Amino acid sequence: MDFYIGLLQVIGVHTLLGLSAWCILHTGQVSLAQGGFFAIGAYVAGMLTAMAGWPLGLALLTAALTASLIAIAIGFPALRVKGLMLVVATTAFAEIVRLVFFNLKWQVQTSNGLIGPDGGLGFGGIRYFPANAWNGLEILALIWSLVATVMMALWLLDRSRIGTLWRAVGEDEIAAQSAGINLTAAKVSAFGIGGAIAGLAGGIFSHNTTHIEHGNFTILLATFAITYPIIGGLKSLLGTLVAVVFIQGFLIEGLRFLGDWRSLLFGAMILAILLIRPTGLISAPLSLQRLKPTKYELEKGQTSGARHA
Amino acid sequence: MAWIDFLDLVQSIMDGVMFGATYSLIGIGFTLIFGVMHKINLSYAAASVGAAYLSLLIVSVAPTPIVYLIAALCGGVLGAVIYWVCFKFLPLNQSLATLMSTVGMLLVLEESIVHATAGMPQNYPAAFADVVFNVGPFVLRGDLLFVFLLGCAVMVALKYMLEKTKLGLATRAVAQQPIAAQICGMSVDKTNASTFIIAGFLGGTAGAMTGAAIGVLSPLITLPLTVKGLVVTVIGGLGSIPGAILAGLIVGGAESLFQFVRGVSERDIYVMLMLFVFLVFRPNGLFSVPGGRD
Repeated sequence: MDFYIGLLQVIGVHTLLGLSAWCILHTGQVSLAQGGFFAIGAYVAGMLTAMAGWPLGLALLTAALTASLIAIAIGFPALRVKGLMLVVATTAFAEIVRLVFFNLKWQVQTSNGLIGPDGGLGFGGIRYFPANAWNGLEILALIWSLVATVMMALWLLDRSRIGTLWRAVGEDEIAAQSAGINLTAAKVSAFGIGGAIAGLAGGIFSHNTTHIEHGNFTILLATFAITYPIIGGLKSLLGTLVAVVFIQGFLIEGLRFLGDWRSLLFGAMILAILLIRPTGLISAPLSLQRLKPTKYELEKGQTSGARHA
Repeated sequence: MAWIDFLDLVQSIMDGVMFGATYSLIGIGFTLIFGVMHKINLSYAAASVGAAYLSLLIVSVAPTPIVYLIAALCGGVLGAVIYWVCFKFLPLNQSLATLMSTVGMLLVLEESIVHATAGMPQNYPAAFADVVFNVGPFVLRGDLLFVFLLGCAVMVALKYMLEKTKLGLATRAVAQQPIAAQICGMSVDKTNASTFIIAGFLGGTAGAMTGAAIGVLSPLITLPLTVKGLVVTVIGGLGSIPGAILAGLIVGGAESLFQFVRGVSERDIYVMLMLFVFLVFRPNGLFSVPGGRD
């Protein structure tokens, strides 16, 4: 039973992470900085409850705000570039964050002894949940109520003016700009909101695991963050959830009986899904139609070599 | 600063620049593929390390130069496999799909390496490891010098290939204007595939050079090599081969400099910050390709 509760907690945290990447992917940008915002949220929230004795709610809120502000600050220089350049810039940012925490040593004396980030050894003793006698189910309920709130908020956002702007920018930047949309505002706002969600997810993650270290926040984590919405399909929020359940529940936990071969199969499964459904699991046409070029594609002359970034 | 410290500083920058030749090669590979297909192949550095691993299969029976040659050839084969699996059957107007498929390939390659070697680092043969040249107050390590010269030789060969051969002409034509190239009778598909194979040769050589310079191969070097390769590509300017060469040497030298000044655990922070400086002041890289690509 504990195993399933733990699994559902992981799925919840990763859903939040996936949703944070969804915001940015929605504006047509690929960001590998989500792991960095996640790490900032994890460390900030952990430090506030464990070292400063703040209540959890306030700590999570501060973590989300901090991550969001840093995302906005990083968004302005980073969003000058797009495509591959943005991937590299955000990768560099995530690596900087990870290495800063790798080098961060700041411990304070509390009633539980010395607590705080200890460089490469990580940051242990974030014991808010055990200290306040929360059981697994209560933590689970907290995580999923946050997931539900964030999903609801994004669903409303997607239907509001902001969602329309984001989608317009994501579909065609030049067209959006000629229609008078402020590209920088749209992209930076997506970065800020995505950063806040990632920071929130990180804050919960650090309290749930009680010990974090720089190795939790590598580029691999950021890759997972963008994998969920892409595999799930960008058209719907549920796609992200479905992809997280599929990847964390089935590919990672469900195939554990395969032992060593599981991780080998993991990459192959992602490849296979993309070959079968290149626009994600939940996306409009459900047929094998795409194997034949459509009339539109033929007219545009999109062969396998046509340049289209 | 004392004179002796200054000598150490210059020495470490020199070592770094020589090792930077491997970054140059990885950067060229990313740039070549980007230039021709306008796509990122994130599994490229993993394939390069994988090629070096494959060459370990014959390390007990073959002399060291043959091992390096095999690494390059395996790199070419892996390049072809990656093109076939990750690009050929995916709709190319979905840029996210190929990004993701190469991530999948990266994971497959990395896990295959871990699976085959049980995650243990493997010794890799170095050439001229015991040769040391004294140049004035400085020491040139034979193995690093070999790596540097090998890198230069491969780059010269690539330049010759791109400018003097028919294949190179086709590669440049497809990079500039795929539809016009197709009208002139070039097969875009074949050119793309051959670009992957050529980039694979470079990658295999770079993987072997990394192994030779460090002395061991480990699956842990694939991700840092990927990140450094991408940094080099961006600093050099997307699609620019001279840019990638120069940026690789700069990144190698800077990395070594920062390691000397601030220690190994902080050096990459400054390398990444350097990238940000470039993004702010020269977003198109050292040598941006004319024509305003994204």
